[in-house]
Amino acid sequence: MIVDHPVRLLLGLVGVVLFALLYDRLARRMTARDLAYSNVPFFLEAAQPRQWIPRALQALWILALGALVLGISGPHLTVPVPVRDGSVFICIDTSGSMSSTDVFPTRAQAAKSAARAFIEESPQGTKTGIISFAGAASVIAPLNSDHQAVIGALDQIPLPDGATAIGDALKLAAQMLPATGHRVVILITDGVNNTGNDPMEIAQWLGAHHIPVYTVGIGTPNGGLIPGTNEEATIDENALRGYADASGGAYARAENATQLHDALARLGRITSVTHKPVDASLGFAVGGAVGMLLAFLTGFSVGRYP
Amino acid sequence: MTIREALLRARRRPRHLGAGSPTIYRGDGYEFVELRAYVSGDDVRRIDWAATARSGELQTRVVLEDVALTLAAILDESPSMRVGRRRPLLDAGREALQTWFGAATGEDRCIRVTADGVTPPALQRTPHAALGFTARSDRFDVTRTLRTARAALPRGTALLAIGDWYELDESLDRELSALGARFDCTALIARDPWYDGLPLGGLVRLRGAEGGYTRAYVGPRERAAFMEAVRRREERLLRRFELANWRTGVLREADGAQSLAGAFGLRVRLSGVEG
Repeated sequence: MIVDHPVRLLLGLVGVVLFALLYDRLARRMTARDLAYSNVPFFLEAAQPRQWIPRALQALWILALGALVLGISGPHLTVPVPVRDGSVFICIDTSGSMSSTDVFPTRAQAAKSAARAFIEESPQGTKTGIISFAGAASVIAPLNSDHQAVIGALDQIPLPDGATAIGDALKLAAQMLPATGHRVVILITDGVNNTGNDPMEIAQWLGAHHIPVYTVGIGTPNGGLIPGTNEEATIDENALRGYADASGGAYARAENATQLHDALARLGRITSVTHKPVDASLGFAVGGAVGMLLAFLTGFSVGRYP
Repeated sequence: MTIREALLRARRRPRHLGAGSPTIYRGDGYEFVELRAYVSGDDVRRIDWAATARSGELQTRVVLEDVALTLAAILDESPSMRVGRRRPLLDAGREALQTWFGAATGEDRCIRVTADGVTPPALQRTPHAALGFTARSDRFDVTRTLRTARAALPRGTALLAIGDWYELDESLDRELSALGARFDCTALIARDPWYDGLPLGGLVRLRGAEGGYTRAYVGPRERAAFMEAVRRREERLLRRFELANWRTGVLREADGAQSLAGAFGLRVRLSGVEG
């Protein structure tokens, strides 16, 4: 939370603390309303009166005053707000290693299926697009708020073959994304960047422009041979984690189709909300006023009010 | 019957033969009651020779026994006794004390016992002077007071102790028993001012007479629990004193004299305490 008028807040809090101290001191001062009894410890043991009720009322007064003080300090709360006009590019690796079957039925099919579920669950108004990359990157579906059209374009993703140009895919996504708004890149890959632009540079550029890259590494720990070759399909997890960190995103590992689906669903929840500062002055002021009214009425109904 | 007579009728009545007031018991004294035929063993000094000459048989003069009592009293004058529903409990305590010392006649001695000591001998013959002897401290030091009583009072003393007994912890039961064995002891336990009903409801501020303060919510549940605890405490105190061989009574705020009389199974009339 940030406040527009910290001096007001400071002075107000000092006032609240003084009020609390003064309240306690005044409460302890002997008054004509006090009842005298022979032995207070005996009374407390015998009747076991509810001492928490006056304390709770006092705390309610102090909290209500504190809320009012916050209200006049111009507080801004950073709250999650649903994204209605966000843009999400899903970059799907179509290199030769994606045909590996350690993830059922293949890594490429599992990625396509998870991407479909992700797009289906995206909020209305969110624009999604597909980029596939192997030795080069190409746009399969440009950003479009028509989710069904994008899902239909998933079938146009080429069969796995070739190298892994992660940097090119990220660069293409950066070029295709709008200049403003809530923008996210999701990278699904199983390999190591071995051609094209340096992904780290692109990730840093994206991070500087508030575009987080969420990376998902797909494949079992043992990996698998790339069909038709003797090459082993390995994941450079550190690199993927580095791209995510550099851009303000996150990294997830999926060893099977379910995990991949879950990872994208989680990303869906993350990318469909944004955190925005909201002016909470009125809320605090109203909350403080309601708290004071509640404390007054409660105190009045149980026999006492300050 | 007066409190003095009740004390003398008591099973362990204190006897200090001397020139006190006559008692209801026949024995050595000066107050003539009747003449009766001589019985073997009668003191020959009691033979009324004139009556013997008139009747022709030995006649003995029957006189009432003279006894001087020692009436001692402990009164808790601490702040906890200065509260009450309509008036301070201490007022009732002082009334009971006045009645107690008011029972003294002739050469009876009246002694106030405090934690600091007892009424000086020169003042013991005057109930008023004994009443004026009070503790230096506001605090009622029950342990020291009871020990002073045991050390300073002569055996057979009629001892009256009045207080709310909040300070009487279990460790003092032996002391109570020792006093009960040595003296004719009577305890008046100040009845809690709220014994008949807790006059509190809702959020209350309560201040202790001897310190302490609380703010709390008191509802029906708390009222019932308090009443029960107050009754239990009074019963427990009465039982503890009775087990220590003390005569017991309850000091009621409304009437201290009647409370004292009640401990002896007597009642107060305008003319004095009666049986």
